[in-house]
Amino acid sequence: MSEKITLTVNGTKRSVEIDGWERLLDVLRDKLDLTGAKRGCDDVACGACTVVVNGEAKKSCSLPAKRCDGAEIVTIEGLASGTEVHPIQQALIEAGAVQCGYCTPGIVMSLYALFTKNLNASEDEIEDVLEGHLCRCTGYEAIWEGALLAQKLLKKNKKK
Amino acid sequence: MEFKYVGKSITRPDAVKKITGKAIFLNDIKLPGMLHAAILRPDYAHAKILSIDTSAAEKCEGVVKVVTGRGCKILYGDNIRDLVPMAVDKVRYIGEPLAAVIAENPYQAKQALKEIKVEYEPLPVLTDALQALEKDAVLVHENSGDYWHLPGLGPIQGTNIANLYKLKKGDAEKGFKDADVVVEAEFNYPHGSSCAIEPHGAIAWFHEDKTIECWSSSICPFIIREELARVYGRPSSDVRVHIPELGGCFGYKSDITVEQTVAYIASFVPGRPVKWVASRREDFTSTLLGHGIRTRMKIGAKKDGRLTAMETRVYHSTGAYADTGIHVCIAAGHNSAGAYEIPNCDLQAYLMYTNQPAVGAYRGYGHQESQFATERMMDMLARKLKMDPFELRAKNYLGPGKKTAVGETLCEVNGDVTKCVDIVKKAIYGKKQEKKEDDKYFYGRGFAALMKTPKGAPNSAKGCYLKFNQDGSVCINMGGAEVGQGLRTVVQQVAAECLMIPPERIKVYTEIDTQFSPWEWQTIGSMFTTQGGRAVVRCCEKAIKMMKKTAAQALRVDLDMLDYNGKCVYLKNDPTVNVPLEGLVYGYMYPNGMTVGEVVQSSDAARLPRYSNPDENGQGTMGVSHTFGAQGCEIRIDKETGEVLVDHFASAFDVGRVINARQIRGQVAGGVMMALGATLHEELKFDKDGKMLNPFMKKYRFPTIKNRPKKQTIEFVETPETIGPFGARGIGEHPVIGVAPSILNAIYDATGIEFTQIPVTPEKMKEALKARK
Ligand code: FES
Ligand code: FES
Repeated sequence: MSEKITLTVNGTKRSVEIDGWERLLDVLRDKLDLTGAKRGCDDVACGACTVVVNGEAKKSCSLPAKRCDGAEIVTIEGLASGTEVHPIQQALIEAGAVQCGYCTPGIVMSLYALFTKNLNASEDEIEDVLEGHLCRCTGYEAIWEGALLAQKLLKKNKKK
Repeated sequence: MEFKYVGKSITRPDAVKKITGKAIFLNDIKLPGMLHAAILRPDYAHAKILSIDTSAAEKCEGVVKVVTGRGCKILYGDNIRDLVPMAVDKVRYIGEPLAAVIAENPYQAKQALKEIKVEYEPLPVLTDALQALEKDAVLVHENSGDYWHLPGLGPIQGTNIANLYKLKKGDAEKGFKDADVVVEAEFNYPHGSSCAIEPHGAIAWFHEDKTIECWSSSICPFIIREELARVYGRPSSDVRVHIPELGGCFGYKSDITVEQTVAYIASFVPGRPVKWVASRREDFTSTLLGHGIRTRMKIGAKKDGRLTAMETRVYHSTGAYADTGIHVCIAAGHNSAGAYEIPNCDLQAYLMYTNQPAVGAYRGYGHQESQFATERMMDMLARKLKMDPFELRAKNYLGPGKKTAVGETLCEVNGDVTKCVDIVKKAIYGKKQEKKEDDKYFYGRGFAALMKTPKGAPNSAKGCYLKFNQDGSVCINMGGAEVGQGLRTVVQQVAAECLMIPPERIKVYTEIDTQFSPWEWQTIGSMFTTQGGRAVVRCCEKAIKMMKKTAAQALRVDLDMLDYNGKCVYLKNDPTVNVPLEGLVYGYMYPNGMTVGEVVQSSDAARLPRYSNPDENGQGTMGVSHTFGAQGCEIRIDKETGEVLVDHFASAFDVGRVINARQIRGQVAGGVMMALGATLHEELKFDKDGKMLNPFMKKYRFPTIKNRPKKQTIEFVETPETIGPFGARGIGEHPVIGVAPSILNAIYDATGIEFTQIPVTPEKMKEALKARK
């Protein structure tokens, strides 16, 4: 019962055969070799698998791949341009928000979706988004500071 | 001392790879011809296996092999060899591997599992140490007395006692007779999970040439290598273990956890690699748990507050296998004396088999569980003595010339607890509390002092290989597992300082491979900065000496006339006479083409300078180095919801030397949060049949960003240590130790409610508030 779906991933159109049981995360990791999105839980709790689907941050472990046919997807692999990391990435590094790094790609993608939609997101809105991401290493302090710094950097870049 | 690189917040060398999603973790690895395994877990936590029928599973699509433990003779373990890779004739806990399917893809393997039929004969189930200690309790291991174990420890045949640890210092009976006041209570620190966001996983590959290769999300590559070699009758050199990037550890990826099982499964399909990665449920039910410790404690004191005696009984529900829990239990025994000198101690710790997943290392293990009791008791004792709790503690702190419970006399280099206490006291108690209560909240403040003992074993070394490159840049290779704690940055900064070379020109290893990496016992016990750092210092000094020796020949002067500055070796009295590093690292060439000197690559390791296994009274030396600290908090309790909100959490530790300011703050913030989770939210619950009730992240109540303290004070005292680089000692585990007691002491301060168990969830708090009214 294999079928074909087409996704635009990080700007490139790609067709994949799927069996039907796959979630978007399985397709990205196993069929498209995009292993930046991680699996950390069974109950859509950790956010490590977050990617951006049609402009919205989505936990890809819960999305049936079938339903993503035709979708526009951005993953962590699509953020840096060449050797230049994205300002969100730069901000999180500067704040010391990267420890083991397993939760990090998901957090970056959620912030990317948020700030792309609304660069003036309030602190409460930022916190609401980050609540969907579990991190065991940092105690969240540096992630919080990194998120605020990211917003600042992005605003500054926009003014330029 | 002025430092150029030490103490600075340089950016960790792995940050960019991680934040771009390019760091390779276990589950990201694909190998040619790789197969996938799924593992069947039993329906009962304790049962005889009557039969396993795999015939239907074998016929499923994609299935290559179905494996059971039938006839398996393998027993493994580092301390007590009681572990099996797969259940043989009975199952002892709900997550135990019972059978496995190997298939072309993970989905097929999981589907086929459903076709395996098992007949059981259920047995009574033990879910608590005290239950396991009862006279007529069912035995989890009928022949525990036959297991190989390290000398001086091990199971008592015919009981569920996997080990009984006893420490005697002075005469506790007399100490209690001399006491004017005695306090007594029982505490419980229930099971939890380290719950790194990356679950456990492993790949095993039995090659046709009889070598074995393994990839694992473990911090103990060399232990895995040695154990696989022993079990499969190969020389260690024929086993190659790779450790990719690790998505957090916090203890439960130490020892051998899943590797023997995956290797056993893979041994049925030689020639092809087999991968297995835990689901979160499996990570909870079949890898190592933390804690599960009940502590009964009695403390005696004179009227003036001097402690006279302590009696502790630790009852540890260590699960179905005790190999990994034994050190947790022993540590809980002797660390129950906390940061205090107590002249008379009678400390015992019962390591009890139960029908639960095995307990193993968890950040700070043995400390937070027992010092939770100690620090709550100090507050209780102070109230009974009508004494200020700070004053009571101050009368009894360990320090230079004082003797710990294990009989080790401390000296100045072990650090200063009182300086840490002062910092936290000032931060939390510095100004008067505004109010105790308003319409919405109760307000409270709490405190705890703490002591962390070092973790070692005879000859537990960490190795280092260093090589200079033609251009004067440096590569360093070590066997320490980077789990996120930032040890690569520590290595880089220590080496930069020693070699006087900027950190950007020092490349630190990215993965561990037992074929190329220097030997390291295992990366545990917050020992890497101290011990690994010393190994780096030694390698750097050797390299500098090699360059000087070559330069002495090049310049035809005596060695002691020369100095090194990171760029060249020069004549002390005339620096214009020098040889640049580039001219030394591969040896020196005279203008006439003759060459002298060595290629500058050095190798060294650091062992613990002293360590002795405890004698029959638990007296000995722990190695290096003890660390002291203090923690305190200001909290608010929501009257309506019962939620405990942390407004301010303060921590201070005597770390000897801060190597990286930003990283060390991150370590502490993360540790505090983890322990706040244990104190207020997390608990793995079992029903009476040994089934785990909440093996899910949400139901386990893993804390989110909204649970973080509103404010954190994090400061450090720097009393240099002698082994660690530039005086540094470890910090990884310490921040978890004083969290539970300081929060619960604050809850008492706010409400007068005396909690002795964690987690204090909003529901429990609400109930207690209601009962109080
Ligand atoms: S893997 Fe945890 S939310 Fe998707
Ligand atoms: S950095 Fe390790 S889980 Fe967040």
